[in-house]
Amino acid sequence: MEEELIQIKNSAVSLILDAKDKRELDDLKIRFLGRSGRLTLAIRELSKLPKEKRPEIGRLANEVKNTIEETIFEKESRLTKQRSQKLKEKIDITIPGIKPLIGHLHPLSQVLYNVIDVFKSLGFQTADGPEIETDKYNFGVLNFPKDHPARDTQQTLFLDTHNSKHTPGETILRTHTSTMQGRIMEKIKPPFRVIVPGKVFRYEQTDSSHGFEFWQFEGYAVDKNITFTDLMGTLDYFVRKFFGESTKIKFASHNFPFTEPSLEGYVSCVVCKEKGCNFCKQSGWVEVLGGGMIHPNVLNNVGIDPSRWQGFAFGTGLSRLATLKFQMDDLRLLTNPDLRILNQF
Amino acid sequence: MLAPLSWLKEYVDIKLSPKELSEKLTEVGLSTEKIIRQGDDVIFDFEVTPNRPDLLSILGIAREIAAIESKNIKFPFPGALLTHPKGVIEGLKPKKNLPIKIQTDSKINPRFTGIIIDGIKVQESPDWLKERLIKIGQRPINNIVDITNYVMFELGNPIHAFDYKKIGGSLMKVHQAKGTELFTSVDGVSYHLPKNAVVISDTDQIIDLCGIKGGLNTGTYDKTKTIFLRVPVEVPVLIRRTSMSLGLRSEASSIFERGVNAGGTVDALKRCVELILDTAGGEIASGLFDIKREDFKPWNVDINLERLNKILGIEIPKTKVVDILERLNLEVEKINNTKLEITVPTYRNDLKIEEDIIEEVARLYGYNNFSKTLPIGEIPTQKVPYFKDYLIDEKVKNLLKASGFSEIYSYSLISENDLSSFDINSDKVLRVDNPVSREFEYLRPTLKINLLKALLQNKPNFEKINLFELGKVYLGRTLDEAKEEYRLCGISNNKSFYEIKGILERLLEELSIDEDPSKFIEIINEGVIFEISYSDLLNKMKPGKIFKPIPKYPPVIEDLTISINEKIPTKEIAEEIIKQNPLIESVSFKSMYKDNRTFHIVYQNSEGNLATKEVAKIRGKIIEALKQKFKAKVT
Repeated sequence: MEEELIQIKNSAVSLILDAKDKRELDDLKIRFLGRSGRLTLAIRELSKLPKEKRPEIGRLANEVKNTIEETIFEKESRLTKQRSQKLKEKIDITIPGIKPLIGHLHPLSQVLYNVIDVFKSLGFQTADGPEIETDKYNFGVLNFPKDHPARDTQQTLFLDTHNSKHTPGETILRTHTSTMQGRIMEKIKPPFRVIVPGKVFRYEQTDSSHGFEFWQFEGYAVDKNITFTDLMGTLDYFVRKFFGESTKIKFASHNFPFTEPSLEGYVSCVVCKEKGCNFCKQSGWVEVLGGGMIHPNVLNNVGIDPSRWQGFAFGTGLSRLATLKFQMDDLRLLTNPDLRILNQF
Repeated sequence: MLAPLSWLKEYVDIKLSPKELSEKLTEVGLSTEKIIRQGDDVIFDFEVTPNRPDLLSILGIAREIAAIESKNIKFPFPGALLTHPKGVIEGLKPKKNLPIKIQTDSKINPRFTGIIIDGIKVQESPDWLKERLIKIGQRPINNIVDITNYVMFELGNPIHAFDYKKIGGSLMKVHQAKGTELFTSVDGVSYHLPKNAVVISDTDQIIDLCGIKGGLNTGTYDKTKTIFLRVPVEVPVLIRRTSMSLGLRSEASSIFERGVNAGGTVDALKRCVELILDTAGGEIASGLFDIKREDFKPWNVDINLERLNKILGIEIPKTKVVDILERLNLEVEKINNTKLEITVPTYRNDLKIEEDIIEEVARLYGYNNFSKTLPIGEIPTQKVPYFKDYLIDEKVKNLLKASGFSEIYSYSLISENDLSSFDINSDKVLRVDNPVSREFEYLRPTLKINLLKALLQNKPNFEKINLFELGKVYLGRTLDEAKEEYRLCGISNNKSFYEIKGILERLLEELSIDEDPSKFIEIINEGVIFEISYSDLLNKMKPGKIFKPIPKYPPVIEDLTISINEKIPTKEIAEEIIKQNPLIESVSFKSMYKDNRTFHIVYQNSEGNLATKEVAKIRGKIIEALKQKFKAKVT
């Protein structure tokens, strides 16, 4: 009996290994393991053996069965591979693939969702507000006095007020997303952390780095102990997440009517890594951000007590971030719908 | 503001290279636009922020350099005049005392400092003076005009010289214009003055547009022998309004509208007189006039060191704080351990509150010496007003992208021609009063215009064009009706109506909105275009999805082809079919050939298996109903 089982195993294994295709293999499977296969019949004979011999022979029979099954399985997968290899040999795999026709997300959108992701991880919520604005939210609340030269930094587009109850000069297209500081803060009690992306408008002639319409985002956080170093740390975290870990940031003092102290943030040039190139006008650094501690007048204007609460605000051009990230040398590329540009993103 | 290195060096020792100096000044807030090498001198072009009128002077910039470098300012003045052989100002006893009558109003002219000099010789300026003015971009005119200019750039107080003999009736009356008066400036340009412009009149005419430009009628020319020098403090708002309304700016007006050093008029006058006596001769011929609303003394600001550290987030030792403030010429008096009283010189009128002083300490401490931290404490969870979930936008855009559409961002401002190409009357569209050009005058009431233009622009280079934009349109005929709305708009020159409809159906499903998108789609010459109010979609959108268990029993699925009048809408037929029995799970249109339409019907019983007989009964009912209602026949 023992010998018979070993013989079955040997002959099965050698036949299986020699099988040429799937059909031959299937036949062998039936010949040995099928209902009237050689192994099946042999196992049936087990009951005729003396009781004491049964366990040992039974184990051997099982072993033989496992070996045959495994061999079949291995042979099967080898055959499948060979078959696919042969099919591939019949075609020219160097011909390019047939791509599905899918479109492209605009670089500004890609940058926007990237920015939102980074700030979400710091607990900032996202908001959105009107582009047609009042002088109050664009300037007044933000501590830009009327008839002050600070307004020159944001040349304004005024809306035609004819046939309406609006006072000329009071309704404008917002010049920055900072309008959403007043709009949100007057409706909520601290603490809060918000970012607001959006389109802004300026009375400005268009060139490679200026436009009359561009995209910004604004961020601010107010709590009991938000500090100037928190602003610096937040911006540092942002630029490293956005431009890459090795990006450096440095700060310089600046003046904005709605923050005190104020700063500007420069990042190490994405193209030359501080060596100086045409992209960064040889300075190695590119100015990208403005911000500061929210001016106590602004907090007072929105009904938040500046002796109890403090916070930071910052803003940057989304358009600028996009041109920097993708090394585009002209802001106008972002509003050009040429698919030769868009298809690159 | 242009500043030659050689000039700055007269007031402060500078050892730094121009590049190092420019970097250090940028860090404290005075950034350099350009460094120009000119012969053996270097000229800096500084960008001065609106809060720092003092930096519109060479002395002011020198003070800033002295502060960052811990150096002292060297003053060649004032005081020179006190010992000047030709006279002194304080306790002045001039030999001559020419008459002048000054009438002013401190509300519109807070300070009027002036003096008369007689017997001058107007001629070309000496070379050193001409060279300096040319270096800072000024055109030399004559020694008197050049000196007034020079002192303004040196000290930051604008000065004007009047030809004394041309002042009618020796009267100088400061008042506000009624409006429309004609005024001709020294450079020969005439202006109709706006109402409330501050001017000086003599007995006959307007002789000065205060704070902006002097008058042609009383300017200093070759034959001028006697001058009246005026060093004023003007009201910033009044100067700015007039300057904006005339579109006329001058070096003086940009100083006045930021706020001139009100305590500096006498020093500037002294300096000016000194230089005139030296280069043009003459003698002082009047007492010193100094008519002022108040004394314009330095003021105090208290700061609390604990608050300083709490706002900045780092501990700056008290000795360091005091050192920084003193370098900025801010006098410090210690009230107690944490409180300091600061005295602010009159040229720093940007320093009014505690936070202003905190900024001074921070910027001189050096922003790049600060540590970087992240906000601590709990993350606020209350939902902010104006909240917007950008994930939905992203989802919608990605779906369109996967359907073959590329996204564009276009301008909100469009032209009248753009509107008329879509038969939109520009009278009923919101408009900008001061557009940058006629191309960008109206706020778009639809996204279709830009999408079509984008498609046409791409036609020469691409065969298949599919574009979309998610952006705002601006509705309402006038500002009273103004409303902003997000729209989703797309255009395709290669997809059929049904393909576009399918994409939109899929999109609406994604937002759990049950609506037929056909009404949003238009067939145009160039292809198919759609526009949907995205703001509406966000309102109609249903949050979340709820799982329905999959059926335990198999459905019966069959196709039913009927012959029916072509004009009957497919939707009506499908609705008629599904009405026939609740066991009909769904009916969908499969195909159409001539007047034959095939529907795909799924029968499903959630309670058990469906018997063939049961299905046959329902089918019979469907056929009967379609025959009755639409005269349809089963083929």
